[in-house]
Amino acid sequence: MTLQFARFIPWLPIVAAIFCALCCTKKSWRHYASWICLASVVGSFILSLMAGSIITPGKEAQTVTFFEWIHAGRFQANFHYYFDTLTIVMLYVITGIGSLVIWYAGGYMKGDRGYARFFMAVSLFIFSMTTLVMADNLLLLFLGWEGVGLCSYLLIGYYYDKPSAVAAGKKAFIVNRIGDLCFILGIFLTYREFGTIAYEPLFEALADMEHATGSVAAIPFLFMLGAFGKSAQLPLYVWLPDAMEGPTPVSALIHAATMVTAGVYLIARMMPMFVLSPYALPVVATVGGLTALFAATIALCQYDIKRIFAYSTVSQLGYMFLGLGAASSVGAVFHLFTHAFFKALLFLTAGSVMHAMAGQLDLRKMGGLRHKMPVTCWLMFAGCLALAGVPLFSGFYSKDLILGDAMAAGLNGHNPWMTVLAWMGLFTAFLTAFYTFRLWFRVFWGPDQCVMGDDHHDDGGGHHPHEPHEMPWSMNLPLVFLAVGAVIGGMVCHEWMTTMVLSSSAGEALSHGGTAHHASLFGMDVHSAVMVLSIAAALLGIALAAWFHLIRPSAADRVKQSYAGLCDLLENKYFVDELYDAVVVRPLKLIGSVCFVIDRLVIDGMVSLVGFAPRLLGLTVRPTQSGSLQGYGLSMVVGLAIMLLLVTLMWGY
Amino acid sequence: MGLDIALLPLLVIFPLLSGLMLPFLGGDDPQRIKSFALISSLFTFVFSLGLLVGYDFSNSAEMGLVTDVSWFESLGLTFSFGVDAISIWLVLLTTLLMPLVILGSFSAIKFRIREFFFWLLLLEAAMIGVFVATDILFFYICFEFTLIPMYFLIGIYGSSQRLKAAKMLFLYTFTGSMLTFAGILYMAWCNGSWDFSFEALSHAHENMTTNQQVLAMLAMLAGFAVKVPLFPVHTWLPLAHTEAPTAGSVVLAGVLLKLGTYALIRLAIPMLPDAALVVAPYMGILAVVGVIYAALICWVQKDIKKLVAYSSVSHLGFCVLGMFALNVQGLSGSVMYMINHGLSTGALFLLIGMIYERFHTREMSQIQGLGRVMPIWATFMVFFAMASVGLPGLNGFVGEFLTLFGAFQSAVLGPAYAAVAGLGLIFGAIYILHMVGKVVWGPVKIPQGHENDAKDLTGREITVLLPLAILCLWLGVYPMPILRTLDQPAQAIMERVGTDLLEENQAKPPVRYDYHSHVRAEISSDATLTLKTLSEGGR
Amino acid sequence: MFEPIHSLALTHYLITGAILFVLGLIGFVTRRNLIIMFLCTEMMFQGVSISLVAFSRYHLNMTGQTFVIFVLTIAAAEAALALGLVVLLFRRKHTLDSEAWSSMSG
Repeated sequence: MTLQFARFIPWLPIVAAIFCALCCTKKSWRHYASWICLASVVGSFILSLMAGSIITPGKEAQTVTFFEWIHAGRFQANFHYYFDTLTIVMLYVITGIGSLVIWYAGGYMKGDRGYARFFMAVSLFIFSMTTLVMADNLLLLFLGWEGVGLCSYLLIGYYYDKPSAVAAGKKAFIVNRIGDLCFILGIFLTYREFGTIAYEPLFEALADMEHATGSVAAIPFLFMLGAFGKSAQLPLYVWLPDAMEGPTPVSALIHAATMVTAGVYLIARMMPMFVLSPYALPVVATVGGLTALFAATIALCQYDIKRIFAYSTVSQLGYMFLGLGAASSVGAVFHLFTHAFFKALLFLTAGSVMHAMAGQLDLRKMGGLRHKMPVTCWLMFAGCLALAGVPLFSGFYSKDLILGDAMAAGLNGHNPWMTVLAWMGLFTAFLTAFYTFRLWFRVFWGPDQCVMGDDHHDDGGGHHPHEPHEMPWSMNLPLVFLAVGAVIGGMVCHEWMTTMVLSSSAGEALSHGGTAHHASLFGMDVHSAVMVLSIAAALLGIALAAWFHLIRPSAADRVKQSYAGLCDLLENKYFVDELYDAVVVRPLKLIGSVCFVIDRLVIDGMVSLVGFAPRLLGLTVRPTQSGSLQGYGLSMVVGLAIMLLLVTLMWGY
Repeated sequence: MGLDIALLPLLVIFPLLSGLMLPFLGGDDPQRIKSFALISSLFTFVFSLGLLVGYDFSNSAEMGLVTDVSWFESLGLTFSFGVDAISIWLVLLTTLLMPLVILGSFSAIKFRIREFFFWLLLLEAAMIGVFVATDILFFYICFEFTLIPMYFLIGIYGSSQRLKAAKMLFLYTFTGSMLTFAGILYMAWCNGSWDFSFEALSHAHENMTTNQQVLAMLAMLAGFAVKVPLFPVHTWLPLAHTEAPTAGSVVLAGVLLKLGTYALIRLAIPMLPDAALVVAPYMGILAVVGVIYAALICWVQKDIKKLVAYSSVSHLGFCVLGMFALNVQGLSGSVMYMINHGLSTGALFLLIGMIYERFHTREMSQIQGLGRVMPIWATFMVFFAMASVGLPGLNGFVGEFLTLFGAFQSAVLGPAYAAVAGLGLIFGAIYILHMVGKVVWGPVKIPQGHENDAKDLTGREITVLLPLAILCLWLGVYPMPILRTLDQPAQAIMERVGTDLLEENQAKPPVRYDYHSHVRAEISSDATLTLKTLSEGGR
Repeated sequence: MFEPIHSLALTHYLITGAILFVLGLIGFVTRRNLIIMFLCTEMMFQGVSISLVAFSRYHLNMTGQTFVIFVLTIAAAEAALALGLVVLLFRRKHTLDSEAWSSMSG
């Protein structure tokens, strides 16, 4: 069987998008939108499974040709699709998680005015995201890359009556554009150096290179900046927490499970290029490690449920970059995979809480919800365990792989900085466990308390009960699937993931430069030692959270009071938004105003000056035109006399 | 064969005659005048489709459908007609935009209706004339003649500062074109014959030293750069755009600005190849400065129309940048950019016109959150805004990518140009989203007294926008029908300038060449010297 | 046909013409009455005409006299037109003062 059918994976959702757009036009058609969208994405998922049965580990990567896109001179970029095992893994995540989230969203968004608009944007998103991972060249990847950015913009600003949502959408798009510019410059440079931007010839050319020199070594840095923008890493992470203004299924699908991992995918895909450059991967690891720690500390003191998860996402993405930087693309992609499950689960359960509480997201205004929402409570518990990295849950396996590989890389390569990063990662694991369970305990345990929000979901008159309530099974069922993935995903998929990633371009690049894992830590094999440490970190974090937020809430307050300054700093997210505003946004706007003034006064003034010259000339000779006939006559006579005089003088008469 | 010869003159004469017939059209029924104008512009469009059939695209750098119409036989002056791929697409852009513009101004124009459509049809004839002319006198006459209808369209039907705007437009561009005319005469004089056909003048550079060419180039730029408009000589544009009636703005952005870029690509660069190499870096700098500068200015605008007007300055900067990259990608990207900018910015002006018609204001502080009350309008707005930002998959991206790509790979410009101009992508997103965020999203705000005017688009208005939207999407996803035909003309220009040899050497991966030592022997001495000085200056 | 006149006679004619011309000129520059200014210009014409006829006789060709015929005919037409204009102007402002018509000053 050939792979020809696989080209429809992105195009099914786009057909759905068109139908959803039609559904927008008539109120009575609106509720069909979710089914159309779900059907197309499930269809894409089935096609992905079929593609996965063809592209198995060990098989050659295949290119599926479709049509020409941009040709100019020798430059070519086509709508052709590239399938290797990495593509397949990504497709599973996108279409699989996508189907579950859309299923959930069908209930969650019910009654909303923009129901069809929502599913149109989601369909468009699935198109863009699948195109991104299936592209056979960098420019088509860029199309998907920008496309997901657009959908993200549209969906963050979904509740467009809220100025904060509009601002958040704008911020996401613009911050991403900064990374995108670097990315596209990277594409230019790739073409300049290699004469192609399609993967296959590119990988062939790269395979022949020993070390990257000059411009080739610069390319990974440009790609990296693009990835940092999309995957919300330092210093471009600021848009992701704000992106939580969008509907919760969007946060789950786009801003946790899929879109934000595009950067990880990009670096994994371009691994053959990154390994050639001596400084590229260490920089990725550093940024990833720092981001993981940085975002986790912010998450400690937030009160908004979705924001905590958003910072947690930033932090987990940091882990993935740390994994990539430690040349553990298996770890990174594995963590991407498990993270997609448990973070989507966490967001959707948070969405259920929010739904039940009429938009209330503040931790301080809820408590003891386990009685009213038992299913949601335990579903979130499963997600929390996975996120905290408790053994046997999925997050444990992938996080552990990353930390182990990083530690091994540090010790083997006698690279103290990498070792430091690995220790930082372990500390972050402790923080992760703490903030995760802080949230869970405060929402579902403790004294009963619920202050309902004032959000009526913009549903045009749907009634809201005044009590929190459990979600219907139509919404909880997809969560159960996600929870199953979050619980056993790590255990079941460990082997499969390793073979899949290693047989893709991401793995092949590493195999020939691979180092043997001989180092030891505390007299144990590095991986075992790190495992023990991370289990300890997770359990310690959970225990601490239980102490402060379940057993002795008063202790938490005391700690908060004694470290008020620090808490203030963390609650305000290190004032990074304010810093950017003061350092970048305001000066830029000021320059804009100055340019406008210059344009009006200086440049236009110069033009007016040029126009003024003939006018000035006119002004000087104007008095001679007195309007008196005699005056004209006299001047004629005088002129004639002067001319005659000159003539006689010159000819000497 | 007969049609082949008649087609190009027909394209000019038909709108001209229809325009001239308008004053004699009996009856005072405005509807009749409007339908007459619409139908004749539709006919012109249908005729122009004949170009696609009649022209042989397999040889798209050659002038096709060549016709000469004698004018002053005793002086040897003729109107010569001919098209190549570049001009065909621009003619089609013109003939496509015109019916839409006419349909779009059905309800906006309330007085002196007959005159309005008269000027529009005359304008169409002149614009098509520019694109199909193959001798410079005919070209120049049409080029200048476009000013007259534009002057009246702005001066009569514009907003409050219309007289100032019309005067400024006229004097600004006219002054520039006078210098251009002097430059053309100078070229002919250097050439030693008063034959003004493109063919004859394309040999003029053989009789000119590089200095003479640069002189002629500067004269040409004086007129064409004003028309484009390039950075320091752009100040007429925001005023003209803002004051013009919607139809005027659309035609101005859609086609008239392209006359400048078209003239650069058709006349200035190929006819003065050595001078093109000399001025390219400076033009590149001006273009890049224009991109950034205008984009920053856009951000602080309060008037939507002015914002889009300044964005035109920014966008045309990309167009000029690509052109002076002097390689295939840059040149064909530049032509793509002309077409795409015509579609998306034209549509934006139409959308703004629809708003102005309803609320009689264009202040962003007055009109906000229209997404809630006018969803169809808002959808179109977001769509065309995204096309304008250069979102891949929509048309704007193809041109933007190729021009930047061309500049990056260019032997005469280089990565720095592309990197700095690339900031325009970020600033472009900033100002467009700023506008969309205000006007489309957010809480609803409608000027007082117009609460009942917030009606969504009518069928007529949707008919105007839909073709543009479809084209934007099509050209974004599958631009090959156009792009394919642009390779050869671009290649031809490169051969004239001599950058094709540079390209040749550059494209062999992954070894890098010292371009200048490599090709020194191969290209004409003047150009090599130029390149050498450029590269040494750059190091 | 004709005898050429002597150069001394020519001088006399030229002096007469010059005197007429200068008289007309002085009149034109000094007087403000439109009709008198107009008559003065006529006088200047005649001064020039006398010189032209004199030269014609001196050189024995008809060029000068041809010119004079032209001048006379045009002067006649012009007189009709100009007087008509003067009448119109008088009707507008009830004065013949040339200073009254200076609205075209720069």
